[in-house]
Amino acid sequence: MAIKTKISALMLGTALALAASTGAFAGDKNVKIGVLNDMSGLYADLAGPGSVIAAQMAVEDSGLTKKGWKIDVISADHQNKPDIGVNIARQWIDVDKVDVLADVPTSSVALAVSNVAKEKNSLLLDSGAGTSDLTNKACSPNTIHWTYDTYTLAHGTGTALTKAGGNTWFFLTADYAFGAALERDTTAAIDAAGGKVVGAVKHPLNTADFSSFLLQAQASKAKVIGLANAGGDTVNAIKQAAEFGITSGGQKLASLLMFISDVHALGLQTAKGLNLTETFYWDLNDGTRAFSKRFQDRMKNHAMPTMVQAGVYSSLLHYFKALDSLGENPHDGAKMVAKMKTMPTDDPVFGEGTIEPNGRALHPAYLFEVKSPAESKGPWDYYKLVATIPANEAFTPLDKSTCPLLKK
Amino acid sequence: MQALYAQLLVGLINGSFYALLSLGLAVIFGMLNIINFAHGALYMMGAFCAYFLLNIFGLNYWYALVLAPIAVGIFGMLLERTLLKWIAGLDHLYGLLLTFGIALIIQGVFQNYFGSSGLPYAIPPQLQGGMNLGFMFLPIYRGWVVVFSLVVCIATWYLIERTRLGAYLRAATENPNLVRAFGINVPRMITLTYGLGIGLAALAGVLSAPINQVRPLMGADLIIVVFAVVVIGGMGSIMGSVITGFALGVVEGLTKYFYPEASNTVVFVLMVLVLLVKPTGLTGRAT
Amino acid sequence: MVDVKTAPDAPAKAGASLLEIRDLQAWYGESHVLHGINFDVRTGEVVTLLGRNGAGKTSTLKSIMGMIAKRTGSARFDGHELIKMHSDKIARLGVAICPEERGIFASLDVRENLMLPPIVRSGGLSTEQIFELFPNLKERLSSSQGTKLSGGEQQMLAIARILRTGARFLMLDEPTEGLAPVIIQQIGRTIQRLKSEGFTILLVEQNFRFASTVADRFFIVEHGKVIDGFANSELQANMDKLHTYLGV
Repeated sequence: MAIKTKISALMLGTALALAASTGAFAGDKNVKIGVLNDMSGLYADLAGPGSVIAAQMAVEDSGLTKKGWKIDVISADHQNKPDIGVNIARQWIDVDKVDVLADVPTSSVALAVSNVAKEKNSLLLDSGAGTSDLTNKACSPNTIHWTYDTYTLAHGTGTALTKAGGNTWFFLTADYAFGAALERDTTAAIDAAGGKVVGAVKHPLNTADFSSFLLQAQASKAKVIGLANAGGDTVNAIKQAAEFGITSGGQKLASLLMFISDVHALGLQTAKGLNLTETFYWDLNDGTRAFSKRFQDRMKNHAMPTMVQAGVYSSLLHYFKALDSLGENPHDGAKMVAKMKTMPTDDPVFGEGTIEPNGRALHPAYLFEVKSPAESKGPWDYYKLVATIPANEAFTPLDKSTCPLLKK
Repeated sequence: MQALYAQLLVGLINGSFYALLSLGLAVIFGMLNIINFAHGALYMMGAFCAYFLLNIFGLNYWYALVLAPIAVGIFGMLLERTLLKWIAGLDHLYGLLLTFGIALIIQGVFQNYFGSSGLPYAIPPQLQGGMNLGFMFLPIYRGWVVVFSLVVCIATWYLIERTRLGAYLRAATENPNLVRAFGINVPRMITLTYGLGIGLAALAGVLSAPINQVRPLMGADLIIVVFAVVVIGGMGSIMGSVITGFALGVVEGLTKYFYPEASNTVVFVLMVLVLLVKPTGLTGRAT
Repeated sequence: MVDVKTAPDAPAKAGASLLEIRDLQAWYGESHVLHGINFDVRTGEVVTLLGRNGAGKTSTLKSIMGMIAKRTGSARFDGHELIKMHSDKIARLGVAICPEERGIFASLDVRENLMLPPIVRSGGLSTEQIFELFPNLKERLSSSQGTKLSGGEQQMLAIARILRTGARFLMLDEPTEGLAPVIIQQIGRTIQRLKSEGFTILLVEQNFRFASTVADRFFIVEHGKVIDGFANSELQANMDKLHTYLGV
């Protein structure tokens, strides 16, 4: 699938020439969803094929097929590369007549694809990306950012931990835009909560060995070591921190971006005691449990959904509700986004919420602590809830948003 | 100053992996004249093998240390018998492409089955904890890695440079036809040598399993650095690759302390410098 | 003098054919180098292949040794057909080669070079016996690199190492090439000694004068074929022909 897509992306010129507008006709009930994410790299476990399953579940749960709608879900691998992501997005919109680009993790790819969606009046329902720019300076009338962003992570973990006594911080920061943004946002949150950042070290992306950096963090005597990185980097840093006796030495580790798939990979013995912020956990309530069990049964490795995968489900469900109320597919991204913004969101996975004018979906976030093996009652029983962060605190307040759409 | 000692020691730990891997590459290059791009994938298989032994057969780390290199070594020998032997004597490019393709296939298969974030492997109970050296907290397991790799490297060096079997190997590297005409089954020796090199990679994989995640791309990330180490040390030089492995680990460790942003590139910068001054590598013989 | 023992497993009796070459053809890749070689070597004799450069003498030795992969015809050694055998199997039958340019290994020290070929049969020369044959080797034993020896020493090392293995049929490819007359004489004496101890020797030589001092019989190789052959006793009668063949 992915390869096919790439090959045809090469023939973009041809494709564009052929892409004569077919136009929507009245009563059109055909919809095409394209799940565009990392299918094989470091984000494949937190998004990847699981997001495609989530999208299919959203189609089924929407009940639209019974009402005569025909909904297709296709997927492709953007390999975390903006150029590849953009090519696929263009090809999907122009040739395959895809209505919604869903998931799109990796901030750089998401920002690029958001531009394509805007240019072609398509629709981006982003779940996987972290950058809060998507609803700030890079906001778009064709983009809704669903699950979380760097603001959520910084304020969830940064503020809560600082208030709980972790008032000195040392950062291990991945040396690229996302890491820097995360460090910056979290530092602001820590300062606001009365804490202090005593030091930071930038490490290259995809570092296998963190011992040097961890030794520096250890020597800083900071109470909290903040990990402003993601995926494999985070996992390695945590694993090695346990080895160097950092957690047993009294310093706390705070992972600013971490998913349940990472905790699963680490094992509780290593990950126990970690603090992290997520907007979804399978074991929050009956609604999340029911969804997650069904999801788990479909996964090849029986993994529970991550918040990104749950976000794909939830965002598409809301999209289908909007379609249902319109009664036909207008094939008009901006129109759909506008419609979605007028409707309150409500589903069993993320609960009740709203979508802000800048495209930011609001819902509560949760500060979790990872259980110890003794506390865990079984597979995937990983988190205990430390604090619930209300929706209005979990995301950038509207008056602080730099989104140009708001200035009109 | 204390922090510096700590970084030096940490560098040695990474150097252990570089040394074990580049040693295997050097052995293979010497005998088969193949630049083995599959090395990283086979290193990864060593780590996975340890994981399987523990989780399927209940055999702990110590068994894995012996069994995983043997199992992966046998897999390597099958590769050599079925694929690599057909390109013997051809241009390096063929071996490079073939082994690179093998690496991609192996990694792809593992990724398909095990995802990308990896599986946990605990440090064996006997080696848990750490000791306070005054200037740093040294995890016992890391100390073990350094000592054990050093022993393995020296043993391998001894095997090749000081034993009769090693003499066969060195002679066959120079003139395989003549060595065979003396009554030595050179093709079998080539297969065993490849198995030995792969076994070393798998051993490094087992050693790294408790430190890093056991994940399909663990080798792909490491192997590029190791190739730089081999180039700096001199292709095919046994002692050169071991010493360069440890030394570059230390250099990298120091870089992480003084200028962490460059720690991923310092090895390649050194490689360029060495190639400019001495294209055969620091210990390489001109051929 | 050294008490060099009889070559091991001495075949039934002197005079029987130890090696029979029939229509031996060989190719290096696409290039056809031997076009049908025929000759015999009897147990206990020294046979010399003569011929110009590129006539196929070395290729003949290599074909017998199995060092050329593509070959047809027949090469029977002591009842074994060699034509389909790999060289390591042939060596195990008791055939040994001292290749042209000696084949001393640079990455091995002198002792390792000497000890390299494995023992294929019982009854090879002991190291003591070898040092009595080649006294200079003993002094140079700890020399770091085999290729640091002088040419003569290298040649002696190359012969010495195959005497250890118990092989009773030795093929020597131009052992005198590029050596000083005094060394050549020493090698000549060594060959005569080996012959007297029962070794069978197949020699390739350009140095006709040297060959005439050690050989029992001669075969002339030209364009990948044996075109003539005669015993040492017929040498004088064939001198004119020889001059033509060898261009001397």
